Amino acid sequence: MAAELTAMEKNMKRRARRRNLVAYSFIAPNFIGFAVFTLGPIVLALLMSFAEWDGSNAMKFVGLQNFVNIFKDDRFIASLKNTIVYSIFTVPITLAMALGLAILLNQKIKGRDFFRTVAFFPYVASLVAVAAVWNMLFTPAKGGIVNQILMNVFHAAPLKWAASSSTVMLTIIMFSVWKNMGYYMVIYLAGLQGISEDLYEAAALDGASSMQKFIHITIPQLRPTTFFVTIMLTINCFKVYDIVYMLAGGSNGVVNKSAMVLVFYIYEEAFRNWKLGQASASALVLFAIVLVVTIIQFRGEKNYAND
Amino acid sequence: MKSKKANRTIGKVIIYVMLILLALIMLVPFVWMISASLKFNKDVFVIPFEWIPKAPRWQNYVDIWTKIPLAKFTLNTAKLTIIVTCLQLLTSSFAAYAFAKLEFKGRDLLFLAYVATIAVPWQVYMVPQFMFMRGLGLADTHLAIIILQAFSAFGVFLMRQFYEGIPDSLCEAARIDGMTEYGIYAKIMIPLSKPALSTLIIFTFVNTWNDFLGPLIYLTTESKKTLQIGLKMFISQYSAEYGLIMAASVLSLIPVFIVFISLQKYFVAGITTGAVKG
Amino acid sequence: MKKRILSSILAMAMVVASITACGSAAETAPAAEPAADTQAEAPAAEAPAAEAATDTAASDEPVNLKWALWDVSSTVYYQPLIDAYTAAHPNVSIEMVDLGSTDYSTVLGTQLSGSGSDFDVVTIKDVPGYVSLVNKGVLEPLNDRIAADGVDLSLYNGVTDQVTIDGNLYELPFRSDIWVLFYNKDIFDAAGVDYPTNDMTWEEYDKLARSVTDTTPGAEVYGSHYHTWRSTIQLDGILDGKHTIVDGDYEFTKPYYEMVLNQQKDGVCMDYATLKTQGLHYSAAFAQGNVATMNMGSWFIATLIQKIKDGEYTDCTNWGIVKYPHADGVEPGSTLSTITALAVPTSAPNKDAAWDFVKFVSGAEGAEVMASTGNIPAMTNDKIVDLIASMDGFPTDDASKEALVTSHTYLEMPANDKSSEIETVLNEQHDLIMNEETSVDDAIAAMNEGVQAVLAQ
Repeated sequence: MAAELTAMEKNMKRRARRRNLVAYSFIAPNFIGFAVFTLGPIVLALLMSFAEWDGSNAMKFVGLQNFVNIFKDDRFIASLKNTIVYSIFTVPITLAMALGLAILLNQKIKGRDFFRTVAFFPYVASLVAVAAVWNMLFTPAKGGIVNQILMNVFHAAPLKWAASSSTVMLTIIMFSVWKNMGYYMVIYLAGLQGISEDLYEAAALDGASSMQKFIHITIPQLRPTTFFVTIMLTINCFKVYDIVYMLAGGSNGVVNKSAMVLVFYIYEEAFRNWKLGQASASALVLFAIVLVVTIIQFRGEKNYAND
Repeated sequence: MKSKKANRTIGKVIIYVMLILLALIMLVPFVWMISASLKFNKDVFVIPFEWIPKAPRWQNYVDIWTKIPLAKFTLNTAKLTIIVTCLQLLTSSFAAYAFAKLEFKGRDLLFLAYVATIAVPWQVYMVPQFMFMRGLGLADTHLAIIILQAFSAFGVFLMRQFYEGIPDSLCEAARIDGMTEYGIYAKIMIPLSKPALSTLIIFTFVNTWNDFLGPLIYLTTESKKTLQIGLKMFISQYSAEYGLIMAASVLSLIPVFIVFISLQKYFVAGITTGAVKG
Repeated sequence: MKKRILSSILAMAMVVASITACGSAAETAPAAEPAADTQAEAPAAEAPAAEAATDTAASDEPVNLKWALWDVSSTVYYQPLIDAYTAAHPNVSIEMVDLGSTDYSTVLGTQLSGSGSDFDVVTIKDVPGYVSLVNKGVLEPLNDRIAADGVDLSLYNGVTDQVTIDGNLYELPFRSDIWVLFYNKDIFDAAGVDYPTNDMTWEEYDKLARSVTDTTPGAEVYGSHYHTWRSTIQLDGILDGKHTIVDGDYEFTKPYYEMVLNQQKDGVCMDYATLKTQGLHYSAAFAQGNVATMNMGSWFIATLIQKIKDGEYTDCTNWGIVKYPHADGVEPGSTLSTITALAVPTSAPNKDAAWDFVKFVSGAEGAEVMASTGNIPAMTNDKIVDLIASMDGFPTDDASKEALVTSHTYLEMPANDKSSEIETVLNEQHDLIMNEETSVDDAIAAMNEGVQAVLAQ
């Protein structure tokens, strides 16, 4: 067989193999660590969703029983619904705010470094502190600042915010945007540095307005960054946990169905009830949703790149 | 002409007003932290909140060092953070180059696997991962934390996206000039991706510095514990010392800010791709 | 079969990983101590084999016991207990491993997963945590050892019966906290109202709380205070001994919810929604000096004494305790309790020595050490009550001392297979009632339905 190959074909094959080897050598240092310590346990954990396991006793294969159980559990259904609602609102709002902030803080203005640091602050600040301030503003009591504004300026009824089933998700969404937009702003800022000045200069020569420059240069040039931000935001929204615990759980940690999110459910199943199989099954559902979103985005990016 | 100038001034004023308002909103938690750090625990969550404590308790800033081995914890955290950040930076940017600029078999699938794993909550694979690490004799070691943090998919994803933004033509030109892929990575990609590298440093630094659950599960020996575990030590079963927690939190933010501010200088003006081309 | 496939995948992954790990460990992390780690691992792996040979309880061979616990720096009795034990057993040394209090059950459960743990003694924080560890099969049943050593379980006032699962006992309690009513004497003095007594019905208590309440804005005095926990209200109903919290029928909680909701409406106690979001700790609430009475566990006694001594609490220095209020026709002194217990994991390297330590801490000698630090041991008698009441800083009135004597104690959560799931249902409805989002009747119906569904599983 090998003898039948022409020298050229051989050469091409060798080159392809060489190219693959070079690429693998780039990936290897990260991939080996990643595969062994993260990917491996993850694959195992996902396999666990077809088993019953409490971490100690023998694992028992149960087929799809875990999935049947979780979809019959109204706490799971509620948490799935809340997580989706939360993500649908939080992802676009945070994205828009982060991009706006980044563009604002990419201009040559005085005190730029200061403002950038300040915008990043809620992300790094202690969650307890950020939540405490938030709860001071949005307290369910009538005397709270926001409720005072609602009553006196808008002549509306005061709201109970995090303490009411109807407004708790709204409160969490607003809080989340406030806390996290600085984080994504940093990513966008870095992305903006990658756009060549030449493009803007050329556009300026053509007499383009700022708006036109934004739509025809900034947005398309930021595409890889936006891809990253969208995926990471979606993933992080689907994995939201601590801010829900902080805002909706309050001093007794009781989060009821109106604010339950997936990871909260997973945590409860895993470490309170020690149903690791059921926790894994819930995670697999989360994983599947995010995977679909990622693939759609990925396709979009590919198509764009091929245009 | 004149009105255009006036318009611009008005625009500037509006921007500044917006920024100052924004800064105020963003800084309130910080003021809260400082204020709480100067109080007795019993007064921290009392409403109305006393923004400027009448009798500031500076003693809190002394107590945090004596009540727990905070200096040792800080040292441990610093060590872990620096090692993890360096490793993460090296391996991620290296791997990302292949994902962004090289064609090879299984590229898209592998990349998708990377990204998808970010979506799995740690709580789900924490137990098997822990048992596995313990099997390797890594329970209660700093090495375990380093391994867990250093090879994250996040870094690879972030760097790949920034490399995507760098025109392929640059690499092609270099290849024709006979540069190896390693050369292109070191001489073209790295210098062009300073803002991205800075971002990765900031994020990895913040993440490792603030990581809680990982060290909590893995590190059981007192002398190996980290800052965030230390902070939680002020929350005991029957009481929580939020005055002390906030004092320690305020201090623990200092390194984060130093890193953030010192990397600011890389977030400037667009890269001049032209210069490289020429 | 399938299980075997899974475990062989796990085993394979481990082998592959250990090969690659050695390589990368050496080159990537010079700062950690790989050499020391592998040494540490070796004895743990050999432990099961070695265990049969070591019967250390009686011998003089040096033994090191690893004890999992929480809050080392803020708990006053760990070191005295260890000192007392090692004084009598000089060959034993005890190493405390602090797993932190906030996520203790999660961390302990993870540590005990599989069989590689090297803890000899573990502290059990609460009953749901205990039940889950028993279900996982990682705790050693103690019945045979109890019988062999003649441990008298009757000294634990029946508490051990409430944590016996399928006839087996897997833990021995060493600390027990009872619920009492704390009150601020200054407020009663200022209002010219008599102090609470050791014999009050719930109606008398309600009346008393209302009589000291002041709703003047800015100068409020709250007659009562309920922390946001379910226990503070819901469990008042089980003290007549006719119901338990795992019954599946919660009609009995209704009068208590109605009493507190009315108090909340009338400003007698702080509003649940605000308390919950604000995150105010009960100790801070009591320390403000405008809370007249508060039902809380006896663990708060030690905090109060300490904080008053430190000069942090200045507005509640004149405090006292009385027995929990009781339902009509029920003997005073019926109250809730929580226990803290010790257990021996099945993977413990030194089981016999560990059991000896557990027996000591939970026994009469340990009880005296506990009492001398101001904490109530699980094994109590009059001498113990005297020891606690004579502590510096404990209220000097006779009623406060008398308040420590109980007639019946009921665990906040008895051992039940489903305790954590039941708790989830009850917590949710408690939250809805107190936020005034559902009526008490609807919530009770939901509790009944939810818990019965859990029990039927």
